[in-house]
Formats: sequence, structure tokens, C-alpha cells
Amino acid sequence: MMAEGAIQAGCAFFAGYPITPATGIFKAMIDELPSRKGLALSAPDEISAIAYCIGASMRGFKSMTATSGPGWALMTESVQYALMTETPLVIALVQRLGPSTGGATQGSQGDVLLAEYCTSGGYTIPILCPTNARECFELTILAFTWAEILRMPVIVLSDKEIAMTTESVDYESLPQMTSQDRPKNSAFVEFGEYDKERKNGTYYFHALHEIPIFSPVGGSRKVTATGSAHDKAGTLQKNSPETIDVLAHLEEKLLWRADDFVAVKQDLDPAAETLVISYGISSRAAQDAVRQSRKSGAKVSMLTIQSLFPVPRKKLRQATEGVKRVIVVEENLRGLYRSVIERYLGPIQVRGVNKIGAMITPAEIRSVIEGAV
Amino acid sequence: MTRTSVTSESFGPQVNSYLIDNPLWPFCKGCGHTMVIRRINEALVSLQLQPQDVALVTDIGCIGMSDGLFRAIHTVHTTHGRSTAFATGIALADSVLAEKKLKTIVLIGDGGAMIGLQHLVHAAMLNVDVTVLICNNFVYGMTGGQGSGFTPECFVTATTPDGNIVPPVDICEMLMSSNAAFVGRTIATDKELTSLIAQAIAYPGFAALEILELCTEFAVPQNELTGTKLLAVAEQNGWSMGLLRAGTDRPPFGKKYLDNILTKPTQSPRKSAVRKNLPKPMGIDGPVSLMIVGSAGEKVQSAAATLCQAAVASGLRVTQKNDNPVTQGSGFSLSEVWLSPEEIGFTGIDRPDYLVILSTDGYRELVERGVLLRLGNTTKVYIDESIDVPVEHGKVKRHAYRKLFGPTLAAVGALVHIARLNRLVDSEALDGAVQPRLKNDAPKFNQAMEQLMGKS
Repeated sequence: MMAEGAIQAGCAFFAGYPITPATGIFKAMIDELPSRKGLALSAPDEISAIAYCIGASMRGFKSMTATSGPGWALMTESVQYALMTETPLVIALVQRLGPSTGGATQGSQGDVLLAEYCTSGGYTIPILCPTNARECFELTILAFTWAEILRMPVIVLSDKEIAMTTESVDYESLPQMTSQDRPKNSAFVEFGEYDKERKNGTYYFHALHEIPIFSPVGGSRKVTATGSAHDKAGTLQKNSPETIDVLAHLEEKLLWRADDFVAVKQDLDPAAETLVISYGISSRAAQDAVRQSRKSGAKVSMLTIQSLFPVPRKKLRQATEGVKRVIVVEENLRGLYRSVIERYLGPIQVRGVNKIGAMITPAEIRSVIEGAV
Repeated sequence: MTRTSVTSESFGPQVNSYLIDNPLWPFCKGCGHTMVIRRINEALVSLQLQPQDVALVTDIGCIGMSDGLFRAIHTVHTTHGRSTAFATGIALADSVLAEKKLKTIVLIGDGGAMIGLQHLVHAAMLNVDVTVLICNNFVYGMTGGQGSGFTPECFVTATTPDGNIVPPVDICEMLMSSNAAFVGRTIATDKELTSLIAQAIAYPGFAALEILELCTEFAVPQNELTGTKLLAVAEQNGWSMGLLRAGTDRPPFGKKYLDNILTKPTQSPRKSAVRKNLPKPMGIDGPVSLMIVGSAGEKVQSAAATLCQAAVASGLRVTQKNDNPVTQGSGFSLSEVWLSPEEIGFTGIDRPDYLVILSTDGYRELVERGVLLRLGNTTKVYIDESIDVPVEHGKVKRHAYRKLFGPTLAAVGALVHIARLNRLVDSEALDGAVQPRLKNDAPKFNQAMEQLMGKS
């Protein structure tokens, strides 16, 4: 369904490398993209795969790759490059059990922070996290929109239990949503000429949060792209004030509009004393548990976070109003996402339901919800 | 700054130079990079390429700083060794998705070529329209003259103070054995260099030139190297010089992809297989879980998928989780299926409503997982009669699935049997899903099914 979403979003280029449990996306793109006049090909490794995608995106085409933890480890060099060169890109990261090659066919939600904090400087990388096949479709399209608008890499974080579980989807009921395209420079400018303020510069912005308008390599405006520290024209610089501005801008362009880049599912009870927060595959068990606990009288709310990053702070604040305790459910050892959101929850008591090696069951979550009430 | 002069109306402005005016060369005195940049510029001038139709992709290291010297072409400064891969992406997209107009040139040093060897090899294999100029000065200059994979034997570098004891790679041989279409090796002072570079750029496929150079800061002082000695270094290493391969008949990747792959007909959007407004199957008034185990190669998982297909056609929601050993062709094979009139949350099965056991491999896996111990008294267990083991919990029924249907149809036979007995799916939908996969086995299968249903 991620491949279906990518195609509907207008993805024209896919380069991949086989890795369980992400291979299905690769195979679907190889099968489907050519009939949509797109280019899908096998790269000799994950480093090449993502670099091909970035090159194709620089040429002006929506691009995507898919991988799992071990492949992600190889890709992070170029994820940073895409961030620095403000190149739109969607990466489907299908988690499996780690560390290292871990368990290829075992699910996990252990890559949440590995994915988010993959850049030197700790820049915010948007991460969208589907809970089922339908959301794989919807959130992949949304990821393309975010990548295109923001001019940056966006991650769709799935896991083995979602990617390798077959699930019925009613195609006719799928939203006819499409992804937005990156705004492109259209006005003619004599090639290679910069005006005094360098408004034709590859990375020109006035205020820090503004997003430079994209020009493709091969287009009528000269592109000066670089992964090294640069000014607004793309010229290599060490630490001029303008270069520091560019580095700040890379974060500011997302944070300034963070409230517009939010996706959550709320199932709130105004009288709730307990709030369950979860994401991805675990949220399905959590939702089951919440439903069952309510039947036995528990006052409990549920917040499913689809946009893990940027952290949907306002939604967190709304969901925690009047709540005495928060339970964060995620399939990893130490509560990775819990460690991130804890700081936004103030004095509320926070505890985790965590496990590795198998999916967390509704019964396990229920025992904590009902034990906590 | 003076502008490039305009002399030709028919072919856009005549370009006299693609370099910035009065550049401050960032290279050391006598460094080969300066010569190479001048020759690239001359080659571009001789080809009179439109500035917007050229992309220069530079690597890391001294040679990587060259992008700043060019004004009137697209430049992409990349990461160490990856320049070829980014360039390949640009060229792939250009050749298949765009107007096929770009000339993409990679500037990379010996260090970058070594760390990015795989990208060079794959670009050569693909035969993308990328020209790679490998500026080999035998050392990593920017970081202080360390030895690279291209450092000749006996060379003294920062990391081979007693002389290099590892013979260098012959990149031209390597690329030719990777089907590189256009390959040459020369020295930076070669009078023919401009022409060679122009030929490489003009070639409509992968082209690589290795250019031997002096690093005056490191390689020269420690090895008594001079420009004239470069040829001797090449000879000592057995490196052939000159144009080693001047093109092949092999079409570039873009043309092959357009001719062979992009000819598929455009697909129409998928139609939903769900039949609307069906009365729900009688056996289903809430979520139902089913687990089936057997042996690899006995079509257990595809049988479960067929049941799911029938369930979807009956208007139900389904999930199917499969498991087997990683090697896929041996041991157990298992599917966990949920059928439900409502949206399905948790997809795991702790205690199945239905359990189907078709082989000893499958039985062992259930024991390993502790499933048999967790069974409730309401679980309906269907076990092949050939498996002579006790099952202590659940309502156990033994049937001759393997004997009646044969090992590869036992799974689908068992599932059809159970679905019909318990009315899990619409019977028309079940036939619609099962019959097409039976093909020639249909008469035998249907006869066996009648026999089984008669008994039950």
C-alpha cells in the first residue's frame, strides 16, 4: 500500500535494494511504476539506492526508496545530504528487530530515534507512522506532500507486522488525495547570473523560515547544490553569518510551520483519568485494550500519533488535559518515543508498556490500564 | 564581472568560457587539478554545450572544490565517493523521465574513486550517460597526503612512511571488466587531454578517464616525482595508457529501459473486490481467528490467502500473518488469519478460534510456541489423521486431509472444509476464490470434498 500511495502521489523514480521486511515495496514499485511511465530499478546497495533517488529528485522528479534498519544505517549519510541540499525525498523505513541484522522477520519499533536523530546537528526530520495498510497509502501520499513543500527528506516509519501482514483494503473507499508538487522556479533568468541580493540563488530565502523555490538541475536557472556549509547562493563558506543563517533555516523552515505538519487520531473521553498514547502497530493493540477496558468501566482516552516528528505538542497538550496518568505503548525495550514526549507532559505520571520480540498484546496493555485506574 | 559574449543567434550565445572570471585557484602551485579544470573548460567550449545542459558533480577532497570555479553550468558538490552515484541518479532521471539532454560529468579523486568503487562499477554496468574524470594523484591531499588504493608500490606517503607494500588497483581494467563503454588513461599534461575529455563527454554512455597527476604538496617531495616521471610510474604498475576503449555498440540504460520496460500498457485504477450489502456469513458474529500450520512447500500460506480472498468477497475484513523459517523452503509454514465484520486491531492470535494442523513440522512449531497449552475448550482443532499425537485442549477432530487431497491441496481442502462446516464465508465467494486455483485438480478436489462433507 505504500507503493500504491507513492504512485498516486506521483512518485516517478524508485531505486531499491532487497531487505526483509521492506522488499515488498521495492517489488511493487518494480512491478507497477513502469506502467505509470516511471523509473524503478535495483541499486547495488542502499547507499547507491538513496543517492540515485536524490539525483533524480534534483533533476526534478518525486523519488522514493525503501529499506529496513540495516539498510537505513547505510543511508543516513545521504539523508543528511538531502537535508543539507534541500532535496525532497521519501524514505519508507520498515522496522525489524535490531540491533545489527537482528531479526529479519521479527517486528519492532526500535528505529524511532535512530531514524529521527540521524543528522549531525539533530535536525528535525518529519516521520509519519502508519498503523495499518490503509494508512500506509494515506501517509505515504502525505509524506510526498511534506517532502515537496518542505524540500527535505521525510520518513514513513512502518514495521514488519504492518508490511508483511496481508490486510483487506477497500480500494474504492480510498481517498482520492494526491500529493502537492514542489513549487518550481518558472520565470526566466539569464543562466548563471545572480542579482545583487542573489535572489536567483539556489538556496535563497529572505526570512529564516522561508523555503527556497526549487530549480531542477538541467533547468533554466543555474543550480549550485552542495552538502557543505554554504551561503544562500550555494557557495561554499566556512562560518559567515549568512552560512549560519542557512544552517538555522534548515530547522526553522519546519519548526515555524510545525502546527501544520501534524497527523494524530484522537479517541478522547472528557472524563478520562488515563491517556494511552501509542503509534504504529502497537496502537492497534492499544486501541483494542482501550475499548475492552472501557467496557469494564475504565475512564480512558487514546491518542494515536501518526506524525511522530515534529512532535505534535499541541495535540499532546489537548489530550492530556485533566488526565492523571499517561501510558505510552511501544514495541521497544526502553520506551524510545516516551523519552521524547515525557518532557512535554509536565507533572503527569508517565509509564510505558514495552516489550521486544513479539507484538504487545491487548491483554498486556489492559492490565496496565486497569491496574493504573 | 564581464558577461559571456553573444556571437551566435542560431545556437544560443557562443560560450567562450564556462569558468568564473579571474578565478582564485584553490590548488597548490603546480597541482594537476588546475590543468585538468582548464582542459575540461576547453573541452566544453569545443563542444559548445548549452550551460543549462551540463551538470558537474564533484566529490570530496581538493578536486571536489572545483565546482566553485565554474559559473555557467549546474554544479552539485556531493559527499565522499558518492559523486558518481548522485550523478547516476541525475542521468537516469534525465534519460528516462526528462528530455535526455543533460551531460553529467563527475570529478573525483583517487580517494573518492576507492571509497566509491561500487558506484563507478554500477554506473559502468548500467551504461548511463555519465563521464567520470578520475584525477589520480596517488594520495589524499586535503587530509595530509595519506596513501590511497591507487598509491603505487614503494610510494612514501603519510600512512606508508616506509613505502607502500600493497599494489594499487587498476581502475581502467576494473571498469572495462564492468562493461564500461569508453575508457582511457593519460596524464594531466597530455596535449590531447582536451580532445580526450571532449570525446568522453560527447560519448552517449558511460565514459571514464583516469588522469595521472602530481600532488606537489605531498606526492612530489617524498617520492622525487616529476611530471615526466608519471609515465614511468604508469609503466612500473603495468598501466596501459591512452584511449583503451572507444565506445561499444551497447545502448545506454535509458534507451534500453524506454524500449524494453516502459512499453507496458498504462494501468487503470484497481477495482474493489468487495461485494457490497451482502448478508454477513452465518458463522461470523464477531472477529474470528484461525491458525493453520503445515510444512514448507505445501501451499499452506497460499491456501490461507485463498480463504482470505473469499472472506473479502463476502464483505468481511481480513488480516493474514505468515511465518516460516528464514530460508523459506524447509521446515514449518504457518498462517494466522482474522476474519471480522469490523475493523481489525491486534493481528496476533493468542488463542485461536480455529486451529488446523496438517503436518508434524507444523505440530512441532505449535509446541515450540506453546499454542497447544493455551488452547481454550472452545477452540476447534482440525488435525490431519496422519499426525499421531495427543491434543489435550479444545474440540479435536481428525480428518484424512492429506490422504484425500494430497499434500499440496490438503491445506486448501482443510480450509474449504472448515469454512463450509462453520459457515465462515459466503459459499459462492468461496467457490469463486478456490476453483480458479485448482485448475486440472478441480474434479479430484471436488470429489474428495463431497466425500469429506458427506462424512461430517
